[in-house]
Parts: sequence; C-alpha cells; structure tokens
Amino acid sequence: MPVHNKDSFSGAKILLVEDEETMAIGLKYNLSEEGYSISWAKDGKQALELFKSKEFDMIILDIMLPYYDGFEIAEKIREKSSQIPILMLTARTEVKDKIKGLEMGGDDYLTKPFHLEELLLRVKGMLKRKAWYHNFTNTLAVYSFGANEVNFENLICRNGKKVFRLTPQEAMVLRYLIERKRKIVSREELLKNVWHVNLDMETRTVDNFMVRLRKYFEPDPAKPKYIISIRSAGYMFSDD
Amino acid sequence: MRWRLNFFHPIFIFILAQLAWLSLMGLWIYWFVSNYIIFKQVGENLSPQIISKGTNTLALIGGLILLVIILGGMYLIFIFLNKQINVTRLYDNFIAAITHELKSPLASIQLYLETMITREVNRSRQREFINLMLHDVNRLQNLINSILKLSRFQKKLIADKYAIYIVEDIVHDFVAKAIDKFRLSDKSIKIEGNAPCHCVVDRDALNIVFNNLIDNAKKFTPGSFNMIIQIECDSKKFIINFIDHGIGLSVKDQKKIFQKFYRISGKDVPSVRGTGLGLHLVKEIIKSHGGKIRVYSDGKNKGSTFTIELPIYKKAKKRYHNRLLKLTTKKEESEDAST
Repeated sequence: MPVHNKDSFSGAKILLVEDEETMAIGLKYNLSEEGYSISWAKDGKQALELFKSKEFDMIILDIMLPYYDGFEIAEKIREKSSQIPILMLTARTEVKDKIKGLEMGGDDYLTKPFHLEELLLRVKGMLKRKAWYHNFTNTLAVYSFGANEVNFENLICRNGKKVFRLTPQEAMVLRYLIERKRKIVSREELLKNVWHVNLDMETRTVDNFMVRLRKYFEPDPAKPKYIISIRSAGYMFSDD
Repeated sequence: MRWRLNFFHPIFIFILAQLAWLSLMGLWIYWFVSNYIIFKQVGENLSPQIISKGTNTLALIGGLILLVIILGGMYLIFIFLNKQINVTRLYDNFIAAITHELKSPLASIQLYLETMITREVNRSRQREFINLMLHDVNRLQNLINSILKLSRFQKKLIADKYAIYIVEDIVHDFVAKAIDKFRLSDKSIKIEGNAPCHCVVDRDALNIVFNNLIDNAKKFTPGSFNMIIQIECDSKKFIINFIDHGIGLSVKDQKKIFQKFYRISGKDVPSVRGTGLGLHLVKEIIKSHGGKIRVYSDGKNKGSTFTIELPIYKKAKKRYHNRLLKLTTKKEESEDAST
C-alpha cells in the first residue's frame, strides 16, 4: 500500500543531502516510490556542486555534514535562489538549532527519528506551497504598506532603510496574512494552509516566523503595528 | 561564548584579584616601613627598650611568605577551575555527538520498519533493508560498548588480562582482524619491519587501540584509504608507527586530540561521526601498559603519524611489568576460586 497517491508533483526533482548512507538509501527509496526524482549528495561539497549543475524543486538537508554543514549550505543556496523550499532534517533537537536553521533559510525542520508519513506529508506540503506561491505571484506581484514594499515575484523587499530578500516561506506567511487583511488568522490555520501540515507540529514554528517578519517590516518590532498578535487567537495583518 | 566578552571572564577576575593582592601587599609594606621608622625614632627617644630586635623583620618575612602561599593557592584554584570549564564545554560537545550518534541509526531503523509496514516491498529489497538495519544495530552496539568501555576503564577494569606476547605476531593478527571488521582491501594496510621482542600486553585492550587508530585513519582519509604500520624494537622499547595519508592535524589539534570528548572539526573534515572518546581511551590503555603515545602531522592534507612505544619485557619497567602480571594471576585465581 503506497503511503500517498502519486499526484501532480510526481516527477518533482528533490536534492537529498544526507551523509548517513543507510538513511539516504531508505529516504531515496521512499521518495522515489512517491514518484519524485532524487539526486543524493553525501556531503556539503557535493550538495553545492549538484545544486549548481542541476535544477531542483526542493532540498532535503541534513545539518551535521562533512565539509559544509547544513546551515552553511542553506545560506549559500539562499544567496542564489530565494524560492527553492528547504526541509531541514537532523538529529539536533535544541530550540536554538531549529531557530538557526530557519534563520539561515530553511523553510521547515524535522528532527530524527521521524515518522515516514510525516516526512512525506511535509515534502508534499512544501511542493504544494511552491506551486501555490507560483500561482499567486501572478495576481499580486508587489504590495506596499507603510515604508515597506514587498515584491512577491523576486522576494526583494524594501523597508525604508535597507533592501533585503525574504525566504519563500516568509513570503508565503506574509502573503497569507495580507490576503486576509484585518482578519484573525490562527496558528493552526497557518500551519494547515501555509505549511500544509495537519499534525501536532509545534505552533512555536509559526511564532518564530512572525518574529522574523516583524524584524523586517515593523519600525519597532516590540510594538508591532502591521503584524499584530491577538491573544490566544493568532495573528492579524493590518496596514491602516 | 558570550561569557568571554564580559567582565566576569575568569582570567579578568583572576588578574584583578592578583592586582588587588599585590597592591595590598605594597600598601602594607609601605605602611609597615614608614611606621616602623617613626616608631623607631620615637621609641629611641622615649625608651630604647621597647625596640625589640628581630621580631618585626620576622613578622614582615612571615607575612610575605603567607601572602605568597595565598597567591599560589589562588593560582592553583584558578588553573583547576579553568580545566573544569574546559571539560564542561567538551562534555557539551560530547552530549551533542552522542545524541547524533544514537539518533541517526535509530532514525534509519525506524524508517525501514515503517517502510516495510506501509509499503509492499519485494523480497530482495526486504533483505537489503534488513541488512541495513543490522548495520545500524551494529553501530548502536559499538557506540554503547565504547561508552561502557570508558566507564569500565575509569574503574580500572578494561585492561586486566596481561600476558607476555611476541608483539610482531599480535600486530599481524590485529591488522588482519581490522581489515575484516572495517571491510578494507587486503592491500590497504601494509606492515613494514620486524619486531620479534616480547611485551606485556592485554590483548583485548590493545586490539581496541588498533581498531580505533585504523578506523580513525579511514574516517579522516578522503578517497581511497591506505596506511603503513612500521614496527621495530630498540634496546628498551617496542615502537609502532601508524602512518596515514588523511587530512592531517593542525598543531592545536595535535596537542588536544587525546583529551576526553575532544573532536576535530572544520571545513576539511570528511566525517562528522564520532564521540570524542576513542583516542582518549587509546591513550589510557597505552598508559596502563606503561607506554606512551604521540601524534605528529606535517599539517593540512599531509597525513598523520601516531607513534606508540611500549616497554620491552625484562628490559624496561621490570617492576611495573611484574606488578601487572601478578595482578592478572591474582585476578585469575580469584575467578577460578569463585567458579
């Protein structure tokens, strides 16, 4: 019995960066069974070489790797491509590692040991998001609020002081909030519709993204006026 | 390492405390000398008998000695604390490494089990997956064993079966076993030289040393692995060199590599596996044999040479060897008695 039906993401090209050979063989088998096309890199150097030479739809990235660790790889990949989704997969469980992973450009984080089904759901969710994002940039490419300007196509932003680039996940969270302007969006809703996971994932992941978005766009992140917390309900975007 | 930046850094506090002590001593000497002169002048005018000869100089010298003792004590406490801080920091690394080493094989086993439950896997694939799981189980077992070995070693239990061997024979035996264990090609390890001398050795413990050094050399050699093992006996000791062509060691790493929990890291390191226990255990085993171990490397990408020296039986450390053999006999006798 296959875990999931093959769907429109069948054939999606995934770069798997994993130095543990036994783990990589198992992952490759399962992802191939789902219909994805897998390239395996067993260390940081190989990962960067493969990323340069081929086009990928997403990356599954281990953190403890020879030569370059996962954080460095995520950072280097983000310099070249802001859109490719990165799923970090690691034995490290400390919150500071998760935050670092997300800060360095990872879009999602899964700790070892994990459930196969959860991994496959997340991979599918990330590919779905990528497609969904691709669709909605056609309808609203640039959005301005206050001194901020966000280009959802190339993810380049201006906040009046500097020009910077969002990660695709950050852009999607922001986009979701903007589309529901002045409406409360719960953490669970964000997890379900932006992360595309319907599991008991920590809602702290959502909070980490909000902290980052506020740092980018709020004149005073401690007193947010655009991305507002609604106590025990969630978040709300407002540019009034 | 934010603590390095603030004023509570132990070195800063230590220097400040030393300065305070030295200033206090200076002030005290100044006060003592100036008051002594006044006191002497007044005393001589009023009553010459109250000036006792010798007592004040004794108090001054005694005071100085006590202060030096206090300063020395502070210095020793500082060194000790600094060592403790370093051990704690390395211990944190160890916990992170152990977490990684335990969770990686566990995650892989879970992945294969879940795969076989949720998918219809054909028989040949099933066999492949089971073999991979066994490989991971083996890895977990080795890790647990190395932790247990270390704790046994701390209780002086690991090397306790000493006997006299011709070292050349055991070297050939250990290398053959390692080639099999680490799935190396027969030509990857070359033994050079002869060593027909006798040493007092715990065979199992020395085997751990060989396995660790060979496995490390393999882990830290990118590309094809090959190693030369040179053996020789001089007048008093048996010398063995493990020469690899791996990534080499910086001077800093050469100094610290045998410390408990220490691991090398950086851009050139081709493997992230390990716990930082192996070489520490190696050093302790060699020490318990009355020998020495050191490492030399010309630097980056120039390989490393680990050199072990063991005293030859009846030519060096005679009393130590006799003690080891006596202890082994005693242990065997007590074991026989209990069975």
